[in-house]
Amino acid sequence: MERRFFMQILGASSLVGVNSACSKWFGKRSSAVPYRLGIPTTCELCPNKCSVLADVKGDRIHKLNPNPANPKSRGMLCARGNAAIQQVYDPDRLKQPMIRVGARGEGKWRTVTWEEAWDFAAEKLKATRDKFGPEGTLWSSTEGFQEVFFKNLGQAFGSPNIQRHPSLCLSSMTLAYSMTFGTVPSFDLLKADYIIMAGANRFESIITPDTMDLIGGTMNRKAKLVYLDPRFTVTAAKADDWFPIRPGSDMAFILAMIHVIIREGKHDKAFLDAFTLGFDQLVEHVKPYTPEWAEGETEIPAADITRIAREFADAAPRAVFYAGRRSSWYQNDFQMRRAQAILNAIVGNWDREGGMVPNRKIAKGEFMFLPWDDPKASRVDEVEKDFPLTSAKDGVYLSLREHVLKGQPYPVKAWMVYKQDPLHSVPDQGKTLKMMEQMDFIGVIDIAMSDTAWYADVIFPESHYLERTDPIEVMPGIWPAAVYRQQVVKPIHDTKPCLEIVQGLAKRLGLNDYFDYTIEQWVEAEAKELPIPNGFEHMKKHGVVASTEAKYGTTRNEAHRFITKSGKIEIFSERLAEAGHDPLPVYTPQPQPPSGKFRLVLGRKATITHAGLAHLPWLNEQVPTNDLWLNPVPAGQMGIRSGDWLEVSSTSGKVKIQARVTDEIRPDCVFMLHGFGKKSPWLKRTFNNGAADAILLETAWDKVSGNAAMHETFVSIVKT
Amino acid sequence: MREPVWEYLIVNYLFLGGLSAGLFFVSALATWLQEEGRPAFPHIARWGALLAPWPVSLGSFLLIFDLGKPFRFWKLFFTFHWQSPMSIGSWLLVIFTMLTMAYLWAWLEPEERTRLLNFIPTKVRQRIPVKVVKWLEHDLSFWRRELAMAGFPLAVSVGIYTGVLLGAVQARPFWNTNLVAQMFLFSALSTGTATLILVRLFDKKQPVALAEMRFLYTLDICLILIEFFIVLPYLIHGKLSVLAVQDALAQVLGGPFTFTFWVLFLGCGLLTPLLIELYEFKPVLLGQGPLHINPRWAITAAGLVILGGYVLRYVFVFAGQASGFR
Amino acid sequence: MAQKTKKRYAMVLDSRKCIDCKACIVACKAENDVPLGVFRNRIIVEKAGEYPKLRMSFDPEQCHHCENPSCVRVCPTGASYQREDGIVLVKYDDCIGCKYCIIACPYDARYHNPETHTVGKCTFCAHRVDHGELPACVETCPSKVRVFGDLNDPKSELHQLLASRRHQVMNPQTGNGPQLYYLL
Ligand SMILES: Nc1nc2c(c(=O)[nH]1)N[C@H]1C(S)=C(S)[C@@H](COP(=O)(O)OP(=O)(O)OC[C@H]3O[C@@H](n4cnc5c(=O)[nH]c(N)nc54)[C@H](O)[C@@H]3O)O[C@H]1N2
Ligand SMILES: Nc1nc2c(c(=O)[nH]1)N[C@H]1C(S)=C(S)[C@@H](COP(=O)(O)OP(=O)(O)OC[C@H]3O[C@@H](n4cnc5c(=O)[nH]c(N)nc54)[C@H](O)[C@@H]3O)O[C@H]1N2
Ligand code: SF4
Ligand code: SF4
Ligand code: SF4
Ligand code: SF4
Ligand code: SF4
Ligand SMILES: [Mo]
Repeated sequence: MERRFFMQILGASSLVGVNSACSKWFGKRSSAVPYRLGIPTTCELCPNKCSVLADVKGDRIHKLNPNPANPKSRGMLCARGNAAIQQVYDPDRLKQPMIRVGARGEGKWRTVTWEEAWDFAAEKLKATRDKFGPEGTLWSSTEGFQEVFFKNLGQAFGSPNIQRHPSLCLSSMTLAYSMTFGTVPSFDLLKADYIIMAGANRFESIITPDTMDLIGGTMNRKAKLVYLDPRFTVTAAKADDWFPIRPGSDMAFILAMIHVIIREGKHDKAFLDAFTLGFDQLVEHVKPYTPEWAEGETEIPAADITRIAREFADAAPRAVFYAGRRSSWYQNDFQMRRAQAILNAIVGNWDREGGMVPNRKIAKGEFMFLPWDDPKASRVDEVEKDFPLTSAKDGVYLSLREHVLKGQPYPVKAWMVYKQDPLHSVPDQGKTLKMMEQMDFIGVIDIAMSDTAWYADVIFPESHYLERTDPIEVMPGIWPAAVYRQQVVKPIHDTKPCLEIVQGLAKRLGLNDYFDYTIEQWVEAEAKELPIPNGFEHMKKHGVVASTEAKYGTTRNEAHRFITKSGKIEIFSERLAEAGHDPLPVYTPQPQPPSGKFRLVLGRKATITHAGLAHLPWLNEQVPTNDLWLNPVPAGQMGIRSGDWLEVSSTSGKVKIQARVTDEIRPDCVFMLHGFGKKSPWLKRTFNNGAADAILLETAWDKVSGNAAMHETFVSIVKT
Repeated sequence: MREPVWEYLIVNYLFLGGLSAGLFFVSALATWLQEEGRPAFPHIARWGALLAPWPVSLGSFLLIFDLGKPFRFWKLFFTFHWQSPMSIGSWLLVIFTMLTMAYLWAWLEPEERTRLLNFIPTKVRQRIPVKVVKWLEHDLSFWRRELAMAGFPLAVSVGIYTGVLLGAVQARPFWNTNLVAQMFLFSALSTGTATLILVRLFDKKQPVALAEMRFLYTLDICLILIEFFIVLPYLIHGKLSVLAVQDALAQVLGGPFTFTFWVLFLGCGLLTPLLIELYEFKPVLLGQGPLHINPRWAITAAGLVILGGYVLRYVFVFAGQASGFR
Repeated sequence: MAQKTKKRYAMVLDSRKCIDCKACIVACKAENDVPLGVFRNRIIVEKAGEYPKLRMSFDPEQCHHCENPSCVRVCPTGASYQREDGIVLVKYDDCIGCKYCIIACPYDARYHNPETHTVGKCTFCAHRVDHGELPACVETCPSKVRVFGDLNDPKSELHQLLASRRHQVMNPQTGNGPQLYYLL
């Protein structure tokens, strides 16, 4: 990578070499164009934050390349990362602020100046505050480097209703591991010899460095991969064993594994004695959970469960039952993740090479800004009451929507959205639309005309990540890193970074003092305490500081206190009992679809992030539309063939979609990709193309964390 | 890939090039065969000469416009790549076309030449240097036989070339046998013959003579038979060949081109005209009298031969591109 | 003085590591301005079996930069040519768009560029390679399926992989001498 920095020349004078070489192969390229190579920045197209080196030709971004300096992204840039250029040069992107003129969703807009947009939004927010108090406003956002400014504005404004995305994503998993270990560890897939993944489709749902480490581990070192998923995914194709487990029964599989391991004395007794609490209760608890019993629940042969349990325990501590990320499947999800955590704990893979490793961090500084008062009202979703264990600062999205729709305990009438597309990411689009209808005001900050933006009253176009400078972000892990996102090209349209958008609003809301700084000051303060001299300069030049050495075993000493109530790893959790939940994971069979109905399961594709990218031409070329996967057996019974148009319906809504008859799914499930069936015509390639799963998904959540349970919906199918 | 990148223009080109080659070949044969020091079949010879240059010219024109960059076609003539059939073919076609032009000139009567030259607007004509005009007015009729002789190998080469263009591509197992070039050659000659049968039948000024018809029928029957005995081994050989070739052949033996190949080409384009012509020829063969000339039958047979020639090229161009090693 | 041996670029692919993520394809499009609808590289997906016994494999493919490139042989203008180091390229200014080379490539590696009306194909990113950089598809690949290098350099990873691992080329019966080596 050093070589690239040497080549990072900002003038027209040099790199004539590069240009003449180019013109040799690409006739039309003029050699007068200055060429800047390798500007370090950080990808924004999914939550992984891979490090990027941008090549810029003249004032046009030509190519994004991976920056190998980041051990988390391991020198790769995925298809989406490569396609980021097309977001910048999308002729249909948001180019200036807009205020709605027609009815909501009608698509009639007036382009306005920033001043007008700010004035308009500030008026509306103030009106809401006057009428309903600051708690009458909702501020929702998905993680991102500048999300902090948006959240801060909501807080400074005095609203308790800051709604983040984890309760649509991973909160059941993070809560389960935190309740057990006091922290959410990473999984050392690079060194593990035996890996079990349940519905963590790591080769399509890319998570760094796990995806790359899993390939490295399983292919180079011949580590074993056992994969459970009702679908035959790419991960299934690469696994040593794939079991199309009966949906919702993962916990039975895990409990049976624990049963076998304890029965055969294969658990790590020394570790359990020294570090854990409640193993004895567990021994009693899992007695009824035999592999034979689990076979009936999971449809995985008892012999296989027993074999896998033995192999797993024998391979420990280089064996992991991987946690998964988008963990929100069923209403028992938290308990299922707890069972995973406990299984990992009893084989003693904690903080060992090839096992589960607590995350380390890179130190960074903090910019000191004026603090604001805590909000006077409590959250509208009443998290403290209904989900006392979950993170109140992130909120519970589905419960929040129910409360807002009912106006309970108080009305919420203005909604600001940052970097989120709730019409697609929150189940039951119809309900979300109703929630929008009852809002007096909706403001959206986005880079594209998402469906949510399409229904907004005012749209603030944010500059694309390649056009802006963002705060430094720390990425905890086995190989922790801090990364920096710096401007690669000047904004090509009349757009602004989130901080400036927030500042414009703050000024009009009388909150100026809380946002009286520039992004440079912010970053400088952060960079000051990076474990590297001249941190700011370093970040500008390299984009990353990282620890490339893994450290194992730092928490494996008697003196270490886990951040749990007892200070130990809690197999048995008193806090859960106190909160009225099972202190040890108790299996309850999940409802199965009645005959004639199918369970709708969700999942990812490597070229698409959530609902947001399927319209980019290079990615759309790979997956031009979505269809409904259906096993040939039920398809045959219903006379459905690939390509037939189907009407799919649930209690939430119905959609029209084409069938894909495939062996790659269980006969009782159907599957469709996320990100199609858009209402916003500005997303040309996904507008009215395919169907939106959010329309079908019903409202259901995990009982402990409140995380949206997204595989609970049963659908009916009719051939049209 | 597998989507065809060569389409109808190429089919037309191969067909038209072959047709010219056939027309010239038959005309040259008719010139070469002498009776009492004069061409044995002057009408056939003349018609062949008059027609030969045009299909190939039209074909080349089509080909140029099928290029992605038609205005760069001149690049073909600033290089010569002996390994590229297209490079060889381009040169070959140019030379052949020029020769057919000269041959046509040689077959024109002096008045016809003058009339033709008079078509050039006076203004333009005045500007043409006298030397050139003189040269153009030159009577080449003495050279007819020499031009015919010189043209034989060229016509045969053009006929072969249209097949080699495909046959030389090892990447397409459907094509990659020398039988394709032979098939194309004999089909080309046969379409030339058939065209001349048609032309002679429609020629009201010089009604067709029995001897002429006999000559054309004999020729055509021979050509069709040869073609048939190339198609047959092509299929047998292919069926017994390596997997890739077998797969490729599946396209005509139970694939998208089966109907076209068996019914349109083999049935209508080859065997039906053969049977008709043999039927007409039967009295001669059996020594029972002269050749039948039923104009309807003759027109049908000739039309079918021409159709067959076109279908052959259609099937080969498209099926060949769909074939491959996977 | 040690004799400088001629370079011979080639690629080794470990298909088992390929996760069909399409990063290589999009990276190539960005790096080389490949128009929509046509591709310089692809992933061949093969599926077999019936539920629940299924198999699926992924093989990345692009121009094989053949030792005896039939595409070069048939090109009537010399626009298609092979460099000393084995890379097969098209001089776009000399290409008349006859598409003969597309048909003549047994690996279907070439395409007609609907924007320029000439023929395009994988260049092994010669413009990057000539500056000591890796081809875009190689650099970007998450699982490092692709190893690019000089066959004649015994120190290269490529050379060492070929020396130590069993491998094959695709359809050797084409006689083209393809230079993408697939590890077994
Ligand atoms: N049906 C269904 N629902 C799901 C999921 C599923 O698989 N299926 N997955 C769940 C999971 S795990 C998650 S994490 C959530 C994700 O939910 P969301 O965060 O809502 O996901 P996206 O659809 O990616 O929407 C992101 C929005 O941010 C915009 N955006 C992108 N970059 C920027 C930027 O730099 N600035 C600004 N201002 N905007 C930007 C995009 O244009 C897009 O409109 O969805 C959850 N919901
Ligand atoms: N390409 C790409 N990568 C991404 C993202 C993206 O949008 N695109 N998003 C990122 C984010 S925010 C997240 S949260 C992660 C999510 O990554 P993952 O945690 O891997 O989640 P999903 O891909 O949604 O995979 C869920 C799988 O579970 C299966 N499944 C359904 N029901 C059951 C069940 O009962 N048991 C079992 N064992 N399996 C079941 C589904 O078929 C599906 O394959 O991916 C991250 N990576
Ligand atoms: S995984 Fe892909 S989209 Fe996500 S940050 Fe990395 S390169 Fe960007
Ligand atoms: S793969 Fe095709 S295009 Fe590439 S060198 Fe070989 S023949 Fe030519
Ligand atoms: S299309 Fe271009 S490169 Fe290909 S054979 Fe024709 S002239 Fe050569
Ligand atoms: S080497 Fe370059 S041109 Fe060839 S496929 Fe890879 S990225 Fe594309
Ligand atoms: S980038 Fe690598 S893993 Fe992804 S599809 Fe290409 S070769 Fe396969
Ligand atoms: Mo997520």
